[in-house]
Amino acid sequence: MDMSQYRNLFLSEAREYLKTINVTVVGLEESPSDRAAIDALFRGAHSLKGMAASMDYGDVVEVAHSMEDLMIRVREDGLAFEAGVADLLLEGADLIEGLLNDVEQELEPRRSPGDFARRLAAYMPPQAQPESQSAGEPQASTQAQGPAQAQGSSQPQASSQTPGLSQARASFQAQGLSQAQAPSQAQSPAEADKGKEAAGEVSTVRVRTELLDHLINLTGELITNKHRLLNIGRDLGSAQLNEAVSETSKLLRALHDEVMKVRLMPFDAICDRFQRSVRALAKRSGKDLHFELQGREIGLDRGILEQLTDPLNHLLRNAVDHGMEPSTERIAAGKSARGLVKLSVTRDRDRVHITVSDDGRGMDPQVMIAAAIRKKLITPEEAVVLSPRQALMLSCLPGFSTAKEVTDVSGRGVGMDAVNASIQKLGGSLTIDSEPGTGSRFTLMVPMTIAIIHALVVQCGKVKVAVPVTAVHRTVELRREQAETVGKRQVFQLDDEAVPLLSLNRILGMPLGRFPSGIVPLFVTEAKGRRVGLVVDRFLGQHELFVKPLGRPLSKVRGVAGGATLGDGEIVTILDVADLL
Amino acid sequence: MSTTVMIVDDSLFMRKMLRDILEEEEYEVVAEASDGVEAVDKYKEFRPDLTTLDIVMPNKTGIEALQEIMAFDPAARIVMCSAIGQESLTTAAHEAGAKAFILKPFNPELVARVLKEAAES
Repeated sequence: MDMSQYRNLFLSEAREYLKTINVTVVGLEESPSDRAAIDALFRGAHSLKGMAASMDYGDVVEVAHSMEDLMIRVREDGLAFEAGVADLLLEGADLIEGLLNDVEQELEPRRSPGDFARRLAAYMPPQAQPESQSAGEPQASTQAQGPAQAQGSSQPQASSQTPGLSQARASFQAQGLSQAQAPSQAQSPAEADKGKEAAGEVSTVRVRTELLDHLINLTGELITNKHRLLNIGRDLGSAQLNEAVSETSKLLRALHDEVMKVRLMPFDAICDRFQRSVRALAKRSGKDLHFELQGREIGLDRGILEQLTDPLNHLLRNAVDHGMEPSTERIAAGKSARGLVKLSVTRDRDRVHITVSDDGRGMDPQVMIAAAIRKKLITPEEAVVLSPRQALMLSCLPGFSTAKEVTDVSGRGVGMDAVNASIQKLGGSLTIDSEPGTGSRFTLMVPMTIAIIHALVVQCGKVKVAVPVTAVHRTVELRREQAETVGKRQVFQLDDEAVPLLSLNRILGMPLGRFPSGIVPLFVTEAKGRRVGLVVDRFLGQHELFVKPLGRPLSKVRGVAGGATLGDGEIVTILDVADLL
Repeated sequence: MSTTVMIVDDSLFMRKMLRDILEEEEYEVVAEASDGVEAVDKYKEFRPDLTTLDIVMPNKTGIEALQEIMAFDPAARIVMCSAIGQESLTTAAHEAGAKAFILKPFNPELVARVLKEAAES
């Protein structure tokens, strides 16, 4: 039988099982006696083993088999599902993922399971209790393998002392079920979905991502052409043409929405990584915390989703490493010993809000200001006019960090400046709220879809440029006398904040505007974590633009995010304002 | 008229493989089910000549589904699919009325032979 025809199906289904295993393991650490989850884990390993055996992938079989055996010990021999078990299962899932990647790339297996299977077989709980020793014969036979056992149980783990565990163990023993008769009363949502999908297998197809990009491209071109037709219809004054164009517009709108939907992926697609990393971070820093995820079902463009992983990982890392206090400190402050880190996703029309919050020590604006002055990032004069919100945003300045020490956990990866920059690149924005002593909240607002954006088109000297509305906090028509001079800089008052004024003309190398009417048009945007007002000659209105990425060498020009064609055929540059300043 | 079969397995990969083997042998696969509950429901709906039933499945295990199907139709011809290492379960399945066993990973010739015997029994 030619098995190569089943390879892709094998890979996609095996990865689904791995994802279920990852999510279920992390979930079980929260509620270790969840019988349905324990069953699901066993089945996941069992199915992986069977599938891999059919494909003759011996290494995968070996790893999956040892995971299945470990889960049998949990199901039937009263082995507590504690951190050591979770670690081994996650390690196994990673091993299999690596092996699958080799299979996918048609490489000779580069990784070997090594002694993984032996370590699982030899696994003993850190504080083996007499009852579990008497209950399980397998442990007795594996105790001889001293070194492996020490390896498996070397990690100290707080959650192994959770009271729920001993209850869980007791209930397993009381049930005394054999493998075949074990009923699984509840079904996890993931499984319910899987069942539905499997039943209607012909209703989904896989398509290449380039095809999706091509579809979006064509739709964008059609929309640009629609604007041309609209202009022609207006010039000709033909009611018939206008009606046909308006009907076409509606159809195009519908087409655009459908194409965008095809590109949407649920946030869930990247969630298991976060669960894994938060778990690992909490463990490494020895902090006791609960991680909550909300809004997994919210859809985002796949391109945006990919770009969100790193910034979110960084925010979560900060929350665990800096935001969260150790339990002793929390108790002393009158809080619960266990901290809460939350990642929630909500949708607000065509924008998605992603919030990383914690109930940790929070950030003190005054401490932020002092640190920024000490590091010569701002002058004491500038500090005076900062609002608390602006002070918190100082953390987004390059070179700013309030970490008292560079730990293994926080010392790596991107800083807040990089987080902010990558969010702005997506046409999004970052806001920080914090209350010293009660916690912090970082909110990322990103567009749900890319490619077609709403932009504010402005005139600067002889050129028209477009600024994505996501980068525009608001537009202001300022009376000339409302501008004040502080030091050498021009500022104006907005919501009790002194916001610096800059000329977009000057930045673009155009002659400065004159404003004979005494009204200065400007838009407020954010750069390096602070609000600035950018003065332009004239607002030309909001347009729906189809963004074309620029090829080299134009893509190397600073501050340019892409190009687009206006309805009349005129080409405008789309600015990446944050990059420009 | 060709023999009708229902395939029950929680893995799409396994169902596809088994379907290909069976269709090669000119069986008519009339239904697929991905868990024990669906298996019982679809058995009642399709009344296949033969059913292949995986053991480890969500919602209802293969053994539970077997018992329910046999209670509904004592003449049901059911072949259990199990992995190596589950031999202990064969007794329970035999007692519940399973006609035969096929082992995973599937060997196409062996599967064909076992199913033929089960269909003719």
